[in-house]
Amino acid sequence: MSFAVRRLQKELSKIHKDGLPQGISLVKADDFDEWLLDIRVFGENPLYKGQRFRLKFKFGNNYPIEPPEVTFTTGLERQIPMHPHIYSNGIICLDLLSPSQGWSPVQNVESVCVSIQSMLASNRKNERPEGNDEFVARNTKSPKHINFVYDDPTV
Amino acid sequence: MKVHVQKYSAVATWKWDVAEDEVCGICRVQFDGTCPSCKYPGEDCPLLVGKCGHSFHMHCIFDWIGTESSKGLCPMCRQKFEFEES
Repeated sequence: MSFAVRRLQKELSKIHKDGLPQGISLVKADDFDEWLLDIRVFGENPLYKGQRFRLKFKFGNNYPIEPPEVTFTTGLERQIPMHPHIYSNGIICLDLLSPSQGWSPVQNVESVCVSIQSMLASNRKNERPEGNDEFVARNTKSPKHINFVYDDPTV
Repeated sequence: MKVHVQKYSAVATWKWDVAEDEVCGICRVQFDGTCPSCKYPGEDCPLLVGKCGHSFHMHCIFDWIGTESSKGLCPMCRQKFEFEES
């Protein structure tokens, strides 16, 4: 059994035992390749009020030494949240998810969800990243391997 | 009644000198258990205590430090991960 599977088993049993923070719920974790979680944002932020968003986690064999691939995905009543760091195809530009920037193996599914939840909660801009349309049309790379420039600490 | 001990078998248990429920931040297994790559806990799967005060299974932290992206930093506090050679 791989390192990743054992680590994910630990995370899953902790989630079943202790639950997840408010606004975060596990939707699907049938295997150790891909999990789905829903997040909601609380507070008065009108951008996301009353909505749910779905995150897809893809784990490689080297998780947690390497970060999972985390994207937003659409579904029934699930849209891609508007955010200047979230492309309309669901790709999230967040240093925490980058192997060469902010990822650390002590992060886990829960902590990543909490970071993304607060990234939404603090956003006031109803817009997509610059160059969104071109990026979405052209990008063929896996989100983990895109060299984003993390230059905007304001959102 | 006087008892004369003629023979005894000593049995000992050991534990790492850390809080009982403390887990390795990388694999999330308790320190008294093994890292996911090992079968038996104990000397073959030791802990490494960094000078920054953060501990990990030696194999777990080496997996991380061995990657380019770690830049040699502690996963907890992002200071350079250094440890006392024992």
